[in-house]
This record gives sequence, structure tokens and C-alpha cells, in this order.
Amino acid sequence: MDKIQKPVLIIGGGMSGVTTAVEIAEVGKEVILIEKIPYLGGNVIKFNNYFPKLCPPTCGLEINFKRIKQNSRIKYYTSTEVIEVSGEKGDFKVKLKTTPQFIKNNCTACGKCAEVCPVERPNDFNYGFTKTKAAYLPHEMAFPYKFFIDDEFCKKESCNKCVEACEYNAIDLSAKEEITELEVSSVVVATGWKNYDASKIDNLNYAANNVITNVEFERYIASNGVGGDKLLRPSDNTEPKKIAFVQCAGSRDENHLPYCSAVCCTASLKHAINIQELYPKAEIKIFYIDMRVAGRNEDFLNKAKANKNIELVKGKVGKITETENNNLILEAEDILSGKKIKYEAEMAVLATGIVPSGLNINLNTDKDHFFTDLQPEGIIPVACSRKPMDVSTSVKDATAAALKAIQIN
Amino acid sequence: MIEVKPDIEFKKQLKQVSKSSLNECMQCGTCSVVCSLAPDDRPFPRKEMIWAGWGMKDKLIGNADIWLCHQCGDCTTYCPRGVNPSDVFSAVREISYQHYAKPKFLSKILNNPKWLPVALLIPIIIISAILYTAGTLQIPEGPVNYSKFFPHAWLNSSFSSLWFLTIGLGIVGLRNFWNDMKKQNPDLKPTGSFIKNLLSIRKEIILHSNFSSCSAQKTRKIAHLLVFYGFIMLLFVTAFAIYAAVTHNYPLGFLNPFKILGNVAAMMLIVGLGIMIANRILNKKDFGNSTYSDWLFLISLFLLTISGVIVEAARFLNWGLAYHLYFFHLICVWFIIIYLPYTKFGHLMFRVVAMVYAASVGRRLK
Repeated sequence: MDKIQKPVLIIGGGMSGVTTAVEIAEVGKEVILIEKIPYLGGNVIKFNNYFPKLCPPTCGLEINFKRIKQNSRIKYYTSTEVIEVSGEKGDFKVKLKTTPQFIKNNCTACGKCAEVCPVERPNDFNYGFTKTKAAYLPHEMAFPYKFFIDDEFCKKESCNKCVEACEYNAIDLSAKEEITELEVSSVVVATGWKNYDASKIDNLNYAANNVITNVEFERYIASNGVGGDKLLRPSDNTEPKKIAFVQCAGSRDENHLPYCSAVCCTASLKHAINIQELYPKAEIKIFYIDMRVAGRNEDFLNKAKANKNIELVKGKVGKITETENNNLILEAEDILSGKKIKYEAEMAVLATGIVPSGLNINLNTDKDHFFTDLQPEGIIPVACSRKPMDVSTSVKDATAAALKAIQIN
Repeated sequence: MIEVKPDIEFKKQLKQVSKSSLNECMQCGTCSVVCSLAPDDRPFPRKEMIWAGWGMKDKLIGNADIWLCHQCGDCTTYCPRGVNPSDVFSAVREISYQHYAKPKFLSKILNNPKWLPVALLIPIIIISAILYTAGTLQIPEGPVNYSKFFPHAWLNSSFSSLWFLTIGLGIVGLRNFWNDMKKQNPDLKPTGSFIKNLLSIRKEIILHSNFSSCSAQKTRKIAHLLVFYGFIMLLFVTAFAIYAAVTHNYPLGFLNPFKILGNVAAMMLIVGLGIMIANRILNKKDFGNSTYSDWLFLISLFLLTISGVIVEAARFLNWGLAYHLYFFHLICVWFIIIYLPYTKFGHLMFRVVAMVYAASVGRRLK
């Protein structure tokens, strides 16, 4: 009864990991939250907005970041991965590896380091479509709000310009990887998802300049994204007036992902509506097999149907070819008319599905590599590590995971 | 309104022959897009897949599109559901031979391995009966001379007339096939004569241009060209041999130009058939499901060619077993030539007729 309470480890600092962390901490338990990249927020932080209420991530996540800041029971470690889990429920031993960020927490995000930094790196926050300096702030609402140095691109001591520029002595280019060992009562696996690798779908020509995926499109349509307030297509930074969405890009396809990710249809409808708000005259075509929008998400379908510039075409795109001016010819059979369509779009968005990110710890998975609910007691997979789901369902799943975790001592 | 007349027996047969689950097709239309032959208007094979799922026999049998497909397998490669449209098409073709066959029992015994002994017994009995009537049903003495075993006049007259009989019955089936194609598209009226439309597709037939666009199977065109021209050359040589047997000295000498042509043709057939057989065994993923009918046709044509070469060698080398081999060779000839409309070889007739029909209604492949 009076045994010292061990904390709960949460692997993954995305929407569900963060939610689980605050839910557990707010009922009085200690939490350790780890995230393998330098900032929290996972995939959702990169979104323009998310359904059903089209909240910008600066809303839902910012509240949670505030809850983390205010709660001393939550310790979070970014740039940190779990490398080993042993033991059993109530008494897990975990080994964590933290890769160096080279800038200490006394960074004030003044930005002097980036000003003097001579090296550029692809900006992973924008999926590499833009660049930052090797000393960079991931994005304007990064949590923790501080600069980082990209180990892969920084020239370290041979350059040293940022060290000289930093007024707070916050930069340590000799920082080393750290291994931490901890004892925890339970482990919540909130490792989340990535989108399917579109380059594997050879007939959809992802290599073409103006073919991008749905998650990349979030960065294109977001006002803090690639084109700022405008939607600019990759090849020539012009504003596309004809945009096509390719549903089930690799999904429901035994050659790629055999399952339906359940969110991509609503996501594309959301994107179409996003575009319409920005460019009411833009022509949008959504090529689909079935529009799978459940529950209140059907409002998006009705809204799209009511818009004369959004056309839903029943037929899967089987081929995309690039024209000389970097437009795209999408070919599909219009099932309702029985005729082949060749539609020329200025930009094409592939609605790729959800793939579990996975973890380097051996856990039970189903045939599609999602974690099953059947794990050693005390190990609790949550949200998209279990199966594809949208943000609001993930948040509910996170609350359920918190409820499971706090019962384990 | 579409009138749906499901034929459950047909669907069962289609499922069994194609090894496709049929109903797992979700009608996405990827197949119609990746098909390099399907026209833009009413492309195939998506529409056929829903008819197959519903067991709509009258929509599939007598559908020209089924025969415009050249079985390249691109649809199967890209099908997200693994329902193998190309195998379904090939199964519909196989069922079509049976549907239009006259008499039906010949088609039945040639498309089911358990009836193979009967299919073999028919030529054995009939050839033996002819030899008995000719009074030559015994192994002749002296140097090998096949005409002592099967006199040319008996051979040529009996095989030719049996061939004309089955081909004639085949043509009756083709007439029904043609009428069914017309019935399926009442608003499309064929224009121009059969011959004129046949001439309009000569390039596709001579050059096999419809094979070129297949990306999944590159060796297919070469193999089919070798077999196609090898077979035509052998037919030509055979026709000359019949003529020579009547007018000249026969058999032809080893260096006779026709003999050389025949041997070259045999080599082409062996190489072409070898590629086809190897592809079907080694590359199942791209070449799809091979049925008993596929194998029966390929193997009997292969055995026909091989036994022909051996029989020729046996004559020059005076082998003791020459007449037994010759008898075996004649059975192979029977399987290919006389059984033609009832086996996969029937595709020669059906495909050409379907292509002519398509040309006559202006349905052009890409």
C-alpha cells in the first residue's frame, strides 16, 4: 500500500501521448513523456486544421502544452527514444537514449544562432519542401520553445559561429548522447503513425513535381506552411486552379495497405473545403472508390456536394502522367458513366493511409503491424499505434489508456 | 434499368476455372485504367468483373471485349483486391469454347482431365479402324516408309475430311457467337463485309501489335510470334507435302527447301512453346493461373512438334520404333487439328471473329 509510486512512461509525444500524460498527471500520478524528435505535437501539430470542428492545432495542443507546463508531475524528454523495456507490470525497467540537441534549455529563442549559421537543412516540419538553417526553431509554436542544432548538417567546432553568437552560453557543440535508466509502473505506447510511402505506388507517379501526399498538403494549405497565405504548387510556385484528390492511394489495396484508414476521405473533403475558402473559383475533383465518412463527418460530404466547384468522381485513379508544363493527367474509369476520364490537374494530392510508426521493442502486432490489445500486462498501446483513427477518437482512446495506466501500481 | 439474369452454375464454373473470388472486386476501375488495350468508351475489364460477380452469363459469353483482351496481366498486377481479372477473362474464353461447341460432348471430354483417356481413345480407335480398312494395320518390313503403314491417299483423305467436318462445326459455333455479339449491342450495326473488316485488322494479326503494349510480360509477344509463324509455315509445308504426295516423289529429301522450311518452323515452335511453358511454370505471378485446357493445348502442340522431328529422324535413321512414334505423332496431329474448335486452339477462330466484329462496329483498341 505504501509502496513508492513509480511513474507511468509514455512513449510518443503526439496528440494521444500528450493527452494521456496530462490525464494521468491531473489525477495525481507521476508521468514521464518521451518524444524521439525535438518537439511535441506529433503529426497533428503539422496539420492546417483537424476535423470535426476544424480546430487549428494551435488550439487543442496549446491547451495541452499549457497543462504540461503547469503540472510538475509531468517530466518530458524530447529527442529521446526507448531502447529497452524489461520487467513486469508495476516494475518495468526502461532504458532511454537521448540524442544531443546541442542547445541547452536556457535558450531564449532569440534566433542569433540561426542568423549566423552558414548551413541549411531541409525543414522536416514542412516535409523538406522548405529549408531552415542547421540551427533552427522547428516552428513558431514549438514546444519546448527553443532552438535546436541538426547533428547531420552542423559543422560543429570547425564552424563554431553560433557558439560565438549566443549571448546566453546555451550552445554546447560537444554534447553527447545520454542513456537514462528508469523504473516505471506501466508503459503507454503512443507511437502513432506515419503516412504510407507514396513512392511505392508506381502507377500514381509520386515522383512528379506536383503530386504530393495528403499530409504534405497540410503544410501547403496551412498559413504557417510552405506558401504562407497562398497555396503554391511545388514545380513553379504558382497558385493551382485545378486540384485533384486521389482517394485510396495505396489503401484497400493488397499490394500496399490492405485496410481502410477511415480518415482519408474526410481529410480530402476537408482539404477541398479548405481550398474553396481560399480560392472559391478553384476546380476540385475527388476521385474515390467509396466515400467513407461516418457520423458527423458526413457534414463535410454534404458541404462538398453542395459546392458546384467540388466534383466527386466514382472511380479510382489508376495512372498519373506528368505533362510538359508539369500538369498532371489523371486517368480513371468513371464507374457511373462507364467511360475513361483523363483529367488534367495542376496539382494532385494522394490520399495516403495510416501506417503504424512501430517501436523497436518487441510487442504483439496484427498482420498490418498495428499493436494489438494483447500485450504483457502494464503495456498499453493507444490510438493510432493500435489502429487508424482520427484526432477526436485518438483523444478519447488516450483517456481510456490513462484510466488503464493509473490502475497499475 | 439493367436486367440481371444470374446464372449460378455459370458463376460456379467461372470461379472454379479462374480461381478468382469474383465478388471481392470492389469496382474501383484500376484494371480498366492500367489496361493498355481497353478503349476509352466502355473500357474493360471492370464492367465484366461486376457481370462475373453477378453470374451474368449472357453478358459475358458473346461479349467481344472478352476476346479483345490479350491476357497481358497488367490488370491482375495492379488489382488491389487480388481478383485477377485477366484470369477471369481467360476463364470466360475457355467456357465460351464449350458453350459454342458442336457436338458438346467433344468439348466436355477435352476440358476435363478425367475424360482424357476417352479423348485419346477416339483417335486411337478411328486411326486403327482406317488402317484396318486400308489393310495396313501392322508394322511393315524393310526400310522405314510411313506410306507403307498409312498410305498417303488414306491419310490425306481421312484426316482432311475429318478436319473439314470439325472446322465446319466450329464455324456453326462462330456464327452463333457472331449473332450473340450483335444481340448484345443492338444499337451497333456492323458495317462492311467480313473480309473487308478482316483486312482492316491485318496489321494487328500479322505484327501482333496488340501484344506490344503489355508491360507485365515482355517475352509473350516473341513466343506467340514464333509459334504463330512456325505453325503457319508447317501448315504450308504440309499442304505442299500433300500436293507432292499426289504429283511428285514423296518423301521429300533432307535438303529439299520445303523440308528445310519445315525443320526451321519446328525449331520456331519448340523455342516459342518452350518460352510459353517456362513462363507459365516459373513466372506464375505475372502469367496467372494456368488451367487444364491451357496445358492440354500447349503440351499437345509441343508433343506434336517434338514427335514430328523425331519421326523425321526415325525415317532417316531407320529406327525400329519409327511406326510407333508415327502413330503417336498422328494422335498429336488429331489433338491439334481435328480437336481445334474444342480446345484452346479455338482462340484462333474466336479471337479473329471478335476482332473482325469489333472492327465492323468501329470499336478500336487503344
